[in-house]
Amino acid sequence: MIALILALLSGVVGGLVVAFLPQTKRGLRNFIVLFFCTCGMIFSWGVALKVFAGESVRLASEFGGLTFSLDPDPLGMVFGLIASTLWLITAIYSFGYMDGKHKQRTYYIFFLISLSMTLGIAYSGNLVALYLFYELLTFATYPMVIQERSPKALKAGEKYILYSLAGAGAILIAIVITYVYAGKLDFASGPILAGSLGSGLGWLLLLFISGFGVKAAIMPLHRWLPAAMVAPTPVSALLHAVAVVYSGIYGILRVVYSVFGHALVRQLGINALFLWVAGFTILLGVIIAARQDVLKKRLAYQTISHLSYILLGALTLQPWGLAGAIMHMICYPTSKIVLFFCAGIISEQTGETRISRMGGIGWLLPKTMIAFSIATLGMIGMLPLNTFWGKYYLMRGSVAEGRWPLALVLIGSGIINAVCFIPIIVDAFKGERTRANIEQGKRVVFMLVPVFLLAAVSLITGLFPGIVWPFVQAVVNYFF
Amino acid sequence: MIASIKANLPVFVVIVPLFIAFILLTFTRRMRLVEGLVIFAEALGLVCAGYLAYTVLKQNGTQIIYQLGGWPAPWGIELKVGSLAALFLLIIFGVCFPVAIFAKGNLTEEVGSNERITRFYVLYLLLGGALAGMAVTNDMFNIYVLVEVATLSCCGLVSARKHPRAAEAAFTYLILATLGSALVMGGIGFIYITTGHLNMGFASQELKQVWQDNPHVVWMAVSFILVGFGVKSALFPLHVWLPDAHSQAPTPASAVLSGIAVKGYLICFLKFMYGVFGPELMQEFAVNRILVFLGLVAIIGGSLSALTQDELKRRLAFSTVAQVGYIYLGFGLMNEKGLAGALFYLTSHAVIKSTLFLAAGAILAATGKKKISELKGIGRKMPITMATFTIASLSLIGVPLFSGFVGKWHLLLGSLEAGNIIPAVIIIFGSVLCAAYLFPVIRIAYFEPAPEEEWKDPGLSQKCSLILLSTVVVILGVVPGPILELARRAAAELLML
Repeated sequence: MIALILALLSGVVGGLVVAFLPQTKRGLRNFIVLFFCTCGMIFSWGVALKVFAGESVRLASEFGGLTFSLDPDPLGMVFGLIASTLWLITAIYSFGYMDGKHKQRTYYIFFLISLSMTLGIAYSGNLVALYLFYELLTFATYPMVIQERSPKALKAGEKYILYSLAGAGAILIAIVITYVYAGKLDFASGPILAGSLGSGLGWLLLLFISGFGVKAAIMPLHRWLPAAMVAPTPVSALLHAVAVVYSGIYGILRVVYSVFGHALVRQLGINALFLWVAGFTILLGVIIAARQDVLKKRLAYQTISHLSYILLGALTLQPWGLAGAIMHMICYPTSKIVLFFCAGIISEQTGETRISRMGGIGWLLPKTMIAFSIATLGMIGMLPLNTFWGKYYLMRGSVAEGRWPLALVLIGSGIINAVCFIPIIVDAFKGERTRANIEQGKRVVFMLVPVFLLAAVSLITGLFPGIVWPFVQAVVNYFF
Repeated sequence: MIASIKANLPVFVVIVPLFIAFILLTFTRRMRLVEGLVIFAEALGLVCAGYLAYTVLKQNGTQIIYQLGGWPAPWGIELKVGSLAALFLLIIFGVCFPVAIFAKGNLTEEVGSNERITRFYVLYLLLGGALAGMAVTNDMFNIYVLVEVATLSCCGLVSARKHPRAAEAAFTYLILATLGSALVMGGIGFIYITTGHLNMGFASQELKQVWQDNPHVVWMAVSFILVGFGVKSALFPLHVWLPDAHSQAPTPASAVLSGIAVKGYLICFLKFMYGVFGPELMQEFAVNRILVFLGLVAIIGGSLSALTQDELKRRLAFSTVAQVGYIYLGFGLMNEKGLAGALFYLTSHAVIKSTLFLAAGAILAATGKKKISELKGIGRKMPITMATFTIASLSLIGVPLFSGFVGKWHLLLGSLEAGNIIPAVIIIFGSVLCAAYLFPVIRIAYFEPAPEEEWKDPGLSQKCSLILLSTVVVILGVVPGPILELARRAAAELLML
């Protein structure tokens, strides 16, 4: 219980502490950021130990006639662990990347506050709390999107806010309808709408999924995501490839498994529609990605594609599909964040953001490009990297559901992913090895450490997927 | 002494501000005394309103009936303090009191000499007293008189600012508001012809039996009342006077005009519609559907107009038009949740909008900049003002844990209970639009580099007033219990459940 509160508070408290520190004390500030991120992670693990042991960690209070409750279950715990762990790693990268940049204090304040909001989403025990943190996350991440304060950044920020608020609005209507329908909003006591059957339920599910789909960047609701790539790289990596977009994905998983329940969704038969939307997004996202020249944009569209892997798995409504979804949810960030981090190192060290001008860059930044190559294999989904397993279970789930074309979609997506990224690597090591290595200095060390840490994690969990499997199994057992 | 005051409390809350308004003019030379008296009057009103609300909440559902001069209705004038009146009294003095604190020592620049300021305060108290009267009275002609008093005080308050545009705005307001009063008068006349009563309770009972004899006359009465109060409370197509009047008025006047004056007419409208015509007749004449429709149009129209304004005070004024739409929408839903939601929304908007107007006025006074695009970096220069502005904005947008969300939640529940999803969608759409027109202000204030100028937070009393109001915004969101309960009971009383 106390661990839960501390895990939630560590971000906000850290943010406030940073807010009252003088701008000039950089070292102290970095230390405080590191400290509070570590707190968030340690306390999350503390909660996780209890939750996976089967204990209930519930906290509820009533505000404004509505009950807000925190009650993490295995699914929430998985999301919380992913978020809090990656937050720490991204914080270390930020120390390198943000060094010497403007407005660092504002950045770190909202970086920490967003941690609290994301954990709030993960640990929420009913729809009202989920909605609260979901809405607050939008506001907490906005200042990071407009970090540069350029007109382009401001425009992207506006787009982000309006898309997110519109999505949240749809969710709010859906929540109210659910409340009128079922009279309760708690997740813990089985699916909220289980057993009810009405003509409007399909539409309700549609409303929910399109609301959360904005942050999950389902096509055609994805437009804000590529625009938001004007943010600093750590933000793009952590928030726009993982935390914020995962909050949308997480919302959809919640709706399908905790609000409707997989039995009811199957009965409504509407999952087939979303399966095809997900499949479509997977292929189209990666195809558009292949046409982008700016590296971060290419990564953004690829994010859109990969997020739908998770949806696809969840919507097969099969235990294997859900296992694949959770597996992919855990494994995919280890590769994706590496790619983003490498893109950040490239643009910081050489000033290059366009792929067409990255020829020979491997000789300048050898370590970075090696990590980049490893992550690329991860994105394609090859052994010995962990994303292979996610993909494997996803295919198994699709086949079990009797939708083998979706398995083909996944394979196709893997091939296009290869087309997307292999040429970058090949180009990078083209040409003569004449220029000097520019991976020097403290900044680069700060940026390289997280990169190799994550690459190592993806290799190890790829070789020994048994490390991750208990978490996946806990989630699947919880819902099936 | 105390016992006799307690017994006469319903009339006391009206008389005190009116009486102090009259004696105020004798103290023109002693500004501190004038200001002290005004704050005292509002504080006293707040205490009385609080006590009345407490009594109403305690005695389950019975209303306090007070007969003026001991004459029983239908011959005498009857005052009735039920949940609705108690709630509205609380709103009136809950807003007037902090605004009076804000006005203290702050009017010279906008209003001028001490004499003018004293007159301003006279009008200010008259408005408060008239609104309190509207809340408690149960007599239709009384309402008309009080509406006139309130209207004329409002016009005076607007024109108090030393600026030609203020006079122009006040004049437009005067003409349209008088038209509105005339229509209300006509409506009351039609009801009187049909029923022979001016007491609302008796008129309502009589109307139920006789309306079928002259349905057209009753229909006329309904439409006159609707349009009359529609003009006065700035229902969307009839709102043209509001943006000028509310943005040109002196800052404290803008706050009370947008915060409570408009609400007074809304409450009167509610009393006429539910208290005199009654829910069945409303359904018969499809007034409820008209209200929902007009409310939806107002939400969209008001918000879209607000989006196009670059002047901060005008943007806030148009936002009032949109928010009035929410309240009308709730009135039209005809179920307890919707009506309670509308009343709670009315409460929260009263506090929010006065905070926003006061903050905007403080910014204007400190910087002289009217336009939103010129307010770069103001959040760093005037941290307290901008913090209260931000809290109020978030609440108006409807972020959970703030008061606006509670109101919207109940409105959503109400509209879904009425079996209609379109209002729910528009309510949400309105929130997104609200974010679209308020969020840029916050962004410019906090995330753009500040110029080198010396801009400071306003003085102590203004800061206190802003902090007080924004605290109420937060409290209403986190523990809305008593107010929500009052709103719920008021809704139940109106629907005669």
